[in-house]
Amino acid sequence: MKRADHLQGALELLLLKTLERGPNHGFGIALHVETVTDGLLRVEEGSLYPALHRLEREKLIAGAWRITGSGRKARFYSLTARGTKRLEEAESDWNALSKGVKRLLRFA
Amino acid sequence: MKTLLQWLQRRRARETEWRDEIESHLALRADWHRAGGLPAEEAERAARRRFGGKLTALEAVRAVHISPWVEALLQDVRLALRGFRRSPAVALVSIATMAIGIGASTAVFSVVDPLLFRRLPYPHDSQLVSLGYLGPVDDNEFNVVSSYLDWRRQQTAFQAITSMRPASACDLMAGDTPRRLSCYYVEANFLRTFGSVPAAGRDFTAEDDEPHAPTVALISYALWQSAYGGNARILGQTIVLDEERVRVVGVLPGDFQMPQLGDADILIPERLNTALPRDANSSSFLRTFARLRDGVTIAQARDSLWPLFQDGLAKDVPPQLRSEVRLVVRSLRDRQIHDVKAASWMLFGSVLALLLVACANVANLLLARAAARRRELAMRAAIGAGRGRLIRQTLTESLVLGFGGGVAGCATAWLLLKMFVRLAPNGLLRLNQARIDVRVLLFTLAASLAAATLFGMAPALERPRAEFLAGWHTAGPARTLFRKVLISAQIAISLVLLTGASLLLRSLWKLENQALGYQPARVVTASFTLRERRFGTAQARAAFFAELERRLSNLPGVTSFALSDSIPPRGSMGRPYSNILIAGHPPVAENGGMVEFRWVTPRYFETMGIAILAGRDFTNEDRALADSPVILSSTLARRMFGDESPIGQRICLEADDHWQQIVGVAADVKNNGLTAPADPEYYRLRINASTQFSRDGVALFRTSAFSAASAASLTQFIRREFAALDSSLPVTIETMETRVDRFRDRPRFLAFLVTLFAALGLVLAAVGLYGVLSFLVAQQTRQIGVRMALGARPRDIALQVQKHAGVWTVAGMAAGLGGSLVLTTVVRGLLFEISPADPLSFAVAVAVLVAVAALAAWLPSYRAARVDPVIALRHD
Repeated sequence: MKRADHLQGALELLLLKTLERGPNHGFGIALHVETVTDGLLRVEEGSLYPALHRLEREKLIAGAWRITGSGRKARFYSLTARGTKRLEEAESDWNALSKGVKRLLRFA
Repeated sequence: MKTLLQWLQRRRARETEWRDEIESHLALRADWHRAGGLPAEEAERAARRRFGGKLTALEAVRAVHISPWVEALLQDVRLALRGFRRSPAVALVSIATMAIGIGASTAVFSVVDPLLFRRLPYPHDSQLVSLGYLGPVDDNEFNVVSSYLDWRRQQTAFQAITSMRPASACDLMAGDTPRRLSCYYVEANFLRTFGSVPAAGRDFTAEDDEPHAPTVALISYALWQSAYGGNARILGQTIVLDEERVRVVGVLPGDFQMPQLGDADILIPERLNTALPRDANSSSFLRTFARLRDGVTIAQARDSLWPLFQDGLAKDVPPQLRSEVRLVVRSLRDRQIHDVKAASWMLFGSVLALLLVACANVANLLLARAAARRRELAMRAAIGAGRGRLIRQTLTESLVLGFGGGVAGCATAWLLLKMFVRLAPNGLLRLNQARIDVRVLLFTLAASLAAATLFGMAPALERPRAEFLAGWHTAGPARTLFRKVLISAQIAISLVLLTGASLLLRSLWKLENQALGYQPARVVTASFTLRERRFGTAQARAAFFAELERRLSNLPGVTSFALSDSIPPRGSMGRPYSNILIAGHPPVAENGGMVEFRWVTPRYFETMGIAILAGRDFTNEDRALADSPVILSSTLARRMFGDESPIGQRICLEADDHWQQIVGVAADVKNNGLTAPADPEYYRLRINASTQFSRDGVALFRTSAFSAASAASLTQFIRREFAALDSSLPVTIETMETRVDRFRDRPRFLAFLVTLFAALGLVLAAVGLYGVLSFLVAQQTRQIGVRMALGARPRDIALQVQKHAGVWTVAGMAAGLGGSLVLTTVVRGLLFEISPADPLSFAVAVAVLVAVAALAAWLPSYRAARVDPVIALRHD
């Protein structure tokens, strides 16, 4: 898997990982990322939806309109089998990358 | 079209969905802020602020869904359109050129294709033939019953042979009013021979065709719908046709076509009587058609029919006429397009020529544009555009251009076809059925796209070289040569078109201005045919005509009135010249062709404006004579009597022992159409005791002053008098000029179209010449500047440019003159009184071409002469 842009790869990883917990809508995903990382990571909302749509086009996630707990209509995304597989790869890629970067930082 | 609409709808639905999703996000975020304690308005604002630009996000989402190649294509198209906007002239001229080429050729080809190439609407149509005698009486082959009966019994070449009578007018009683229809008497196997079966009911049987069988009928699909509402109950019912009760047995198929293309409302068995004596059947005329046996050719069929033809000739054709009668067996298509064949090929040829000129023009324009763009492409390659990208870009441009030309071409084709249908005379080219042929349109579209691509791509296909950046290099010698050849070819084709147009126009002019021998101005005609049933006897007819004459002879505004059975430009069926006997003279020469004749009242010559050259006119006193006196046309008088005076001679016209006196000689009139030479003619007076009137009549009125109002009131008067005599008799009232003019419709239409195409071709060639010269001047600006700086005079520069133009034009004209000689063989049959090699027409064509070429060359040469050396050398 070749990824030209690791930042985009990181966003993808965040989205997939969040959806691993269960179907969620765009706002829910953004909120989750913010809360779980204690505000360290903040999803740029403008680029959230292009990213979700790209994942959907690649059939890694599937979207459907549903009603939220608060009674709003929202598009919920859930992980597909392909998405789960991709998440595993992306996680190990990321771990390798961050391990590499950490070492480099340590020995530089 | 439908899928495109669906696609657009789907696309719009998705857009809304994307928008909704973003709105939902904002709402959820606002909810969240509110839950955190913000007031509603503040919460919404915070949500929007946090989200950022909604439209940017939407754009980004859209970008995810548009595939990259579509995006690139749209970009290319936008780029191409921007390029065209920057130099619109080339794009517009190319599109206009393609529109003319595609439009004209599609329209004309749609019209001539069914005539020249399409299959006829009969199964195994190539087996169908028309056959019979061809004599001086008729343009088409005919047969006589007695010969036909022999042929039918003894022929071996055909699987089926069938016959029909010429069309006859018949009156169908619909309620109380008669409706005039076109009836055909046909043999029982008529439909079967052409492979047709009735749409409803049954076909004729052999019993229906027995001589004294009760009359049955097949009605046309259109009549079934219009008169009986398509109700099947009409089958087996009786209708009243010409006051006779006729049982309807079937309905013709909706697409049924008579083999000679007549309009048939009703078919009736012709019931030939084999028992009649031969001479009764030999004066009864038929049209005969047949279907060849499998594997038999037309030539073989003709050979096998030859003995039967010889036999029939000996038995049924008067000896004086035998040497003028031929056997004809020809394909049904040839029979059908008989009189439009030459015109169709002429149109087809001229539109192909126009298409060639248009193609050459587009090629030339695009090549010029390509050469001019080399620098731009070299520049773009230098700053990093890949070759693939450059090729794609030029390809897109070509396709956009081709597409634009194609769309404009479709519109032009549609407009032109509308115009053809409006302008075309009745019956010519069967235009009432003409519609744009989709296959033809698709083909021309494909051709235009291919041509645009081929020539438009030229610059991108060659490797961009750094030298082009300098702008020094003009197009390579090979390509300029190709373009010069294109120009010469355009000139050549234009000359051929121009020659054709000027020949046709000259011929038309002669046709319009020829002496007719009579004065059609201010003459009104009323023509009619009496019904067989009511006017079957000579007495009934004579009584009708006498009463009609009495009623019509004193209408207001009429200075002279006459009655005849027919009037020019057509004649009657004619009689063989050799029938005529002259008292005290040896028999006249054989093979004299046909002589026209008419039955007229005394003031016929005065009303028609025909001069009496010798002797006297008929008088009212003559009408009491026992035998009708005769007036000869001057040609006939000269042929019969040479220098001897014909006045007072006694002649017998129909070998019937009636001897009549010649009282005068009248001037010749055009009585055989407008193009054929006049036939000799004699006139017989309608005497009181006459028993020979036919059922046809024409009333003629010469009016003192003619205006629309007086014509309308005269028409009223005439109609009232006819109605008083026979209220159900259809009468056609029109001016003599209208009648004569109808004979000029076809040549006029053809001349108009060919001239239009020639003019378009000429304009295209001029644009081409102008374009190439302008381009050369622009390319050589610096060179010209140098020469001027070295002392060349503006005149020398202009001359040099004009010399280029002159060389290509002369080369093109030489080729064009060659082509025109080929053209003359096609055009020969379409010309009236001028030779296809008419020097004046050729001279006019050449002069027009030279004038236009000079004009096209003048502007660029003028511009070249005005080049300022200082500015030219500073160029770039």
